[in-house]
Amino acid sequence: MSRVLLFGAGATGARIARQLRSSGEVEELEIRDPNAERLRRLLDSLGDGAQPGLGRRITGSPDAVVIASPPGTQVGLARRAVHEGVPVVTTSNQTSEVRRLLTLDDEARYREVPVVVGAGFMPGLTCLLARHGAREYDEIEEIHVAKVGTGGPACARQHHRALSSTGIDWRDGRWTRRAGGSGRELAWFPDPVGGRDCYRAALPDALLIVPHFDRVQRVTARQAATRNDRLTAPLPMLRRPHPEGGIGAIRVELRGRVGIERRVSVYGAIERPAVAAGAMAATATLHALAGDLGPGADGLAAVSDTVGVLRTLASRGVKPVRFEGVSTFV
Amino acid sequence: MGGGLITLARRTLVAIGAGVAVAAAIRVRGSGGIPPQTGGWRELRGDDLR
Repeated sequence: MSRVLLFGAGATGARIARQLRSSGEVEELEIRDPNAERLRRLLDSLGDGAQPGLGRRITGSPDAVVIASPPGTQVGLARRAVHEGVPVVTTSNQTSEVRRLLTLDDEARYREVPVVVGAGFMPGLTCLLARHGAREYDEIEEIHVAKVGTGGPACARQHHRALSSTGIDWRDGRWTRRAGGSGRELAWFPDPVGGRDCYRAALPDALLIVPHFDRVQRVTARQAATRNDRLTAPLPMLRRPHPEGGIGAIRVELRGRVGIERRVSVYGAIERPAVAAGAMAATATLHALAGDLGPGADGLAAVSDTVGVLRTLASRGVKPVRFEGVSTFV
Repeated sequence: MGGGLITLARRTLVAIGAGVAVAAAIRVRGSGGIPPQTGGWRELRGDDLR
């Protein structure tokens, strides 16, 4: 039985809390959130075993720290947790923040604790599926990920900002900056989402994927958007985001070589993004508590036992899918 | 003049005939394959999780 400290009681944080409590592996869960009313509602719904906390210091000797606070607030908390020698799971989907979280690698290795960077729907499950799918290949040449939908309000704001910000792609062995909202591509997601136009955006997936695939030539990340989204992307959000977005999906396309054959495989998942992100972060936390994750700051593309993590994720209610039918050509 | 028209008509007929013959051969002998009858998205299971 373990003690976990969770920062954030929003749409994703609430799902993480429920997943951890229902896992039976977490005896004590301390939750901190600056919004007292939201925190009280969550604690009421969780019952015994969950308690409120205050401040941003790591106190009470937790066995793991999970950070589901809004993007831009996670680095300081993660740094404090690493300094205390506590495993950390973060959920940021902001490119600049993911870069800063990755810089915690040296200290995390020195203190021999894992720092999971971007354990959400995308990034998170996308990185895990890329690593898992790559097992079938002798050489991976291209990885393309895409997503539809948003979780809570903080995620919706980040999604809005990302579309008007500069994206980064990995192309021919080097980083390339690309304008957000460019590069329209029709991507097919698991049913019932189906085909959606996707565009470049400030998404951190390539930062988390590239270091773990030797000789990969292209890594790109896109997000689905409508004409209205693209038109209003440079403006502030014109209305308050919904408390939670609707159904979302991710898609991971791998291209590479198996022997002399060139092959393409496509993985995906469909779920409300906050629900999937909560399940993914809780799964990563459970594996961190079990000591399955190595030291250092990395995304889920660094996981070696992808099968174990995917099985835990399935037991938490998120079951990835694979496209079959026309996935192979010579 | 009359001979030229006949030659043109004859060449046209030969060209059309050759086109029909090639199309017929492709139609009869060629195979466009059968579109996928199964497949689509399926949950990871079995070999996927070993």
